[in-house]
Amino acid sequence: MITPTEEYRRTDHKAPKKPLSGLDAWVHHIVGFYTRRRRVLAELRAQAERIDGLEDHWKGLRDHVLQERLAEIHQQFRRHPASPDLPVHDALAAIREAADRHVGLRPYMVQIMGALAMHRGYLAEMATGEGKTLTAGLTAVLAGWTGRPCHIITANDYLVQRDAEWLRPLYRYCGLKVGFVSGEMNPVDRRAGYKADITYTTSKEIVADCLRDRLRLGAWQQPNRRLIQTLLAPQFLARAELVMRGLHTAIIDEADCLLIDEAVTPLIISTPHKNETLREATRLAHEIVEPLVPGEDYDLDLRHKEIELKESGRQKIHERCSSLPPLFRSLGRREELARQALTAREFFLLGKQYVLIDGKVMIVDEFTGRLMPQRTWRAGLHQAIEAKEKLEVTDPTETMARLSFQRFFRLFHKLSGMTGTAAEAANEFWQTYQLPVISIPTHRPCVRKVEPDHVFSSADEKWAAIAERICQFHSTGRPLLVGTRSVAASERLAELLRNHGLEFSLLNALHHREEAQIVAQAGELGKITIATNMAGRGTDIRLGAGVAELGGLHVIATERHESHRIDRQLFGRSARQGDPGSAEAYISLEDELLMRFLPNAVRRRLQDAFRSGLPKSGKMATTAFTLAQKRAERQAFRQRGSVLRMDTWLEDALSFAGMEFSH
Amino acid sequence: MAEAPPTFSESWYRIADQIIYLRPGVRVRRQHFRGERWHVLEDPFNNQFFRLQPPAYAFVARLRPNRTVQQVWAECLEKDPEQAPGQEEVLRLISQLYFANLLQYDQPTDSGQLFERYQRRRERETRARWLNIMFMRIPVLDPDAMLGKVLPLLRVIFHWVMGLVWLVVVGMAVKVAIENFDLLREQSQAVLAPNNLFLLYAGLILIKTLHEFGHAAACKRYGGEVHVMGIMLLIFTPMPYVDATSSWGFRYRWQRILVGAAGMIVEVFFAAIATFIWANTAPGTLHNLAYNMIFVASISTILFNANPLLRYDGYYILSDLLGIPNLYQRASQQLKFAMERYLFGLKKVDSPARGRREAAWLTTYGLLSFVYRFVVFGGILLFVADRFLLLGIIMAAICAISWVLVPIGRFIYYLATSPQLERQRPRAIAVSASVIVGLFVFFEFVPFPHHFRAPGLLEAKEKSEVVNETAGTMATLLAKPGKWVTAGQPLAQFQNHELDLQIEASQARMHETEAMWRRAMQTNVANIKPVLQRLDSDREQLKLFQDEQKTLTVRAPQDGVWAAPELKEFVGRWLPRGSSLGLVINPKSFYFTATIAQTEVNRLFASEIRGADVRLRGQAGEELPVGELEIIPAGLKTLPSAALGWHAGGEVPVSPTDPQGRQAIEPFFEVKAALKQVAGVSFVHGRSGKIRFDLAPEPLFQQWYRRLRQMLQKRYQI
Repeated sequence: MITPTEEYRRTDHKAPKKPLSGLDAWVHHIVGFYTRRRRVLAELRAQAERIDGLEDHWKGLRDHVLQERLAEIHQQFRRHPASPDLPVHDALAAIREAADRHVGLRPYMVQIMGALAMHRGYLAEMATGEGKTLTAGLTAVLAGWTGRPCHIITANDYLVQRDAEWLRPLYRYCGLKVGFVSGEMNPVDRRAGYKADITYTTSKEIVADCLRDRLRLGAWQQPNRRLIQTLLAPQFLARAELVMRGLHTAIIDEADCLLIDEAVTPLIISTPHKNETLREATRLAHEIVEPLVPGEDYDLDLRHKEIELKESGRQKIHERCSSLPPLFRSLGRREELARQALTAREFFLLGKQYVLIDGKVMIVDEFTGRLMPQRTWRAGLHQAIEAKEKLEVTDPTETMARLSFQRFFRLFHKLSGMTGTAAEAANEFWQTYQLPVISIPTHRPCVRKVEPDHVFSSADEKWAAIAERICQFHSTGRPLLVGTRSVAASERLAELLRNHGLEFSLLNALHHREEAQIVAQAGELGKITIATNMAGRGTDIRLGAGVAELGGLHVIATERHESHRIDRQLFGRSARQGDPGSAEAYISLEDELLMRFLPNAVRRRLQDAFRSGLPKSGKMATTAFTLAQKRAERQAFRQRGSVLRMDTWLEDALSFAGMEFSH
Repeated sequence: MAEAPPTFSESWYRIADQIIYLRPGVRVRRQHFRGERWHVLEDPFNNQFFRLQPPAYAFVARLRPNRTVQQVWAECLEKDPEQAPGQEEVLRLISQLYFANLLQYDQPTDSGQLFERYQRRRERETRARWLNIMFMRIPVLDPDAMLGKVLPLLRVIFHWVMGLVWLVVVGMAVKVAIENFDLLREQSQAVLAPNNLFLLYAGLILIKTLHEFGHAAACKRYGGEVHVMGIMLLIFTPMPYVDATSSWGFRYRWQRILVGAAGMIVEVFFAAIATFIWANTAPGTLHNLAYNMIFVASISTILFNANPLLRYDGYYILSDLLGIPNLYQRASQQLKFAMERYLFGLKKVDSPARGRREAAWLTTYGLLSFVYRFVVFGGILLFVADRFLLLGIIMAAICAISWVLVPIGRFIYYLATSPQLERQRPRAIAVSASVIVGLFVFFEFVPFPHHFRAPGLLEAKEKSEVVNETAGTMATLLAKPGKWVTAGQPLAQFQNHELDLQIEASQARMHETEAMWRRAMQTNVANIKPVLQRLDSDREQLKLFQDEQKTLTVRAPQDGVWAAPELKEFVGRWLPRGSSLGLVINPKSFYFTATIAQTEVNRLFASEIRGADVRLRGQAGEELPVGELEIIPAGLKTLPSAALGWHAGGEVPVSPTDPQGRQAIEPFFEVKAALKQVAGVSFVHGRSGKIRFDLAPEPLFQQWYRRLRQMLQKRYQI
């Protein structure tokens, strides 16, 4: 039996704040700075020290007494979830003791600080290997005690299960049930997973389940309306079999990846939909644009990935358009179609944006380097790519529901998270999610050596130098992790290493099955691992025996990413928890980042300067990269902002059409 | 060229299965604008309008309670695949209709969102009210029912026969007005006099109320609805207004134009009737009220109502005549487009104009109204600041914020954040900055010819005032005034009987003394000496009187023209000694005496005068070259002629207590400029005019800044 309150909470969510403008935005901005002020960290440290001071008291308690005391605190949290005088300090000290006894790990001071920060609704920036899983566990206990649904969102299914199992004894001891939801589960298991006090899951699963629940409810999503209907005419409302308990607290691991990098990637529930016209049209469009020559018939806008048709191109399309279905014959539509075909041809490259598996186009996520099965590009574009690859053009899918992470995570009443790299995007976290960022210091000082960038004028030189460098390091026995940006790049490097006769593990979208395992072993003596940037995130690379004496793991970045955070994450793979380690980056003036985000004139100048061997050209190149990165980040930020505004506008404009997630 | 919105939309699923259709009350009318067909949706509840082009209308018209959006769209595609709107277009269309409250739908709406929207609208309205405080509107009553009752009458009134009547009445009134034009003009000088202000305002209210009823009646007559009538505070002056927006939905253009013009038509008609009243009544309240109504109807109609640059009747009439609805907004959009396209180099922007001619109209209108707004807003600001000092400062601050700072802030925000500018932002910023720098350099460093004008009058170089040296009664005029006289020529003969008697008495006394002298010679020699002394004095006395008698004939002191305009009236009158009879003026050489206010003196004395010329009143076309300038560096207070003072219609403020009107309030300085004779210009002593000094060129900012400082100093003693 579900109580009316529980029923209400199932679809209750926070009314997300509308994007502000003008003076309001300024004030909000200033408030953001205030919440991130330095004093907060000092406060947290003082509190953590106070908790540390309580240690002796809790250490002395016998097991069953400790458990009783925990149950008492549990009741306080359950009865007054929002009260300001909850015994948080006692609670954390008790949970710490419990963790020590039942998980075998005693949370460090920094972990207590992280837990406190997250409990206060902060995004805690904690370096890799600082024990984020346990930190999240401490916070989750506090949140789980309130009885409201608490979700811990991690990077992949493997971590979901591992973390849930690992902390289960702690939760059980604290009087909480833990569940998890992963990819291949059936609805019954899912429901069981969500029913637990604390649920581990991935972003993909939770968004999909939420969408499916909403679809099932149809017009009865609004809790008030549903509640009134149940009171008035319960028989009228067929009780839908929902999976989730609702959205209240979310603790997000690797928050920047989800909330920023993948923020606008929507999760879509869709069904294929017959559309012969579109299939036909895209196939023909591919043929129509065949003779068009870049620079002559159209221009490329690399930075925004757009095609601009020129007059001669228009003329050619006009001459050849008579075969198109009538829907696409009008000027606007035939050019849209042609532009799409050209976009598919010029900007969507095999091995970079997608790969072919079993005669199907499979999208590769540019940030994570992971395959995105199930996903398709927007109607028309996906077909255009299929036409380009001479595959059978499939029907476009018809969307039934879609939700981007950006919109989804704004719905939680209590949002907190942790990540290794957040400071760069602190502003965006605040603006979009009202999530202030705080940097928690490391437990032990970091001893990573970062070497200056190696700059080359051409890509070929760069790759040759990387291969040489790998050989050189390999001979010393130090393990190497080489980060690449795309599948194609990783394949190219693999080819080079093969020619040098080296053994290595390749981790990319095409070889992703034992991801976590491969990454976990990357710290062994003499290992070479090539991985796309974010592969195996969330898994620690522990150093093998004797590696620390050799200097620890060495990381080579083969290209700069569009976001500085991603670069930092890759470097952060080495020298974790006070281990030794080093990192360096190899960049060339032909890298995509420069091509897209540096004005052509500047880039040419730089190339000239570099070729003529000016003394400071290396430094100039690094500056140019930083600049390009800044521009890329800003552009991406603006794009996300405009998507959010567009979503909000749509929400208003279509609110008659059965609201999705507005109040 | 901008791209069409994508054919397929990722949000299509949100509306695909919805059942949406136009609300039952919504009216649809067909209108033609510049030869294109449009469909206008009208919401009768709130007078909101929505224009649709035929392909969009084809979609909207198919929406039914038994079909989903998806089905309707499919049907449109089938019927007219080339023209049918794409998914994205449909989505936008439906959302716009939804915002305009024109849709009905099956789903229960998100009521919270509706309330929020309502609240936002209220907030926006309140803000708009405060920002437009100079044009605040307060709705008062709903005249629709009343108008409905008199509808049959309205049908009679708006009939072509009445048009003829109107023409006849107005024609006759114009005739009367022309016949009495002098009177009309004369009376106009007193219109702004304090004692007339109340009547003026009464006339204004009366005629404007009739005006507004004209709109309302015309609108009702042709099938519109008029639900709001109220008071608009136009610069804090209550004025009536009416909301006749429902006429926008009229199918025929002439009807819309007629509604727009009805106010002025009625106003002119009543002004015509007022003309008859005015012409046939003696001065009194009714007469004056009628006059004020004529004044208001003619002046305000030309300045405000018929002026398309202000958003009154003329604007709507022009907008309908051109067939461009929302002329003002679209003209601004056109200017923005021109800026983005040609200055910032954006490629993906669309002109709001459909066709070249419309673009030309929009651009012209946009530029003109932009300039005009500057002028009007500036004028209003000065006016308010002038009238109410404290309030004026507050108002000026509010207006400066809403008319200057907010637009500038918006522009900067737009430059910094507009997503459209994404690709061209550096260029946009560079262009804007260089325009600003260019303007600054232009105004700050480029010197501009620079003059200033001062009032003054012609004075003959050689002139003598003729006075009677002896008191007396003027007997005859010996020379006709206006004639050339030579020095010494008698001009007038005075008589002084007393003097005659005195001479006679004096002669008699002399005779007596002579007799005494003779007797003394005979009788008493010792007496001779004193008697001789007495004789001498008697002679002197007589001589004195006789000399005095000679001066009773007033003679010309010099050659010249004898100018004595009022002399004839003096004949037979006793004039005390030293009365001014007239002037003898040598008309060969003149100079121009200019009076220069002390605020301007520094400019004149400090900077180099490059030249000067004089224009005489009534002959402003003739520039009289000026020879040498003689500056008299001492402050004066008495004007050379009362003609320059306020009392006599001049420019120089004079003391109100001075009956002659020659005492200036502020000291002034005199400059004498020698003039040469010019053929065709009659140089007459005392003719007033203006002198213009050409000063060394100076940048405009400096000129303006000085003027502003002077104005502030003068008005607020700052």
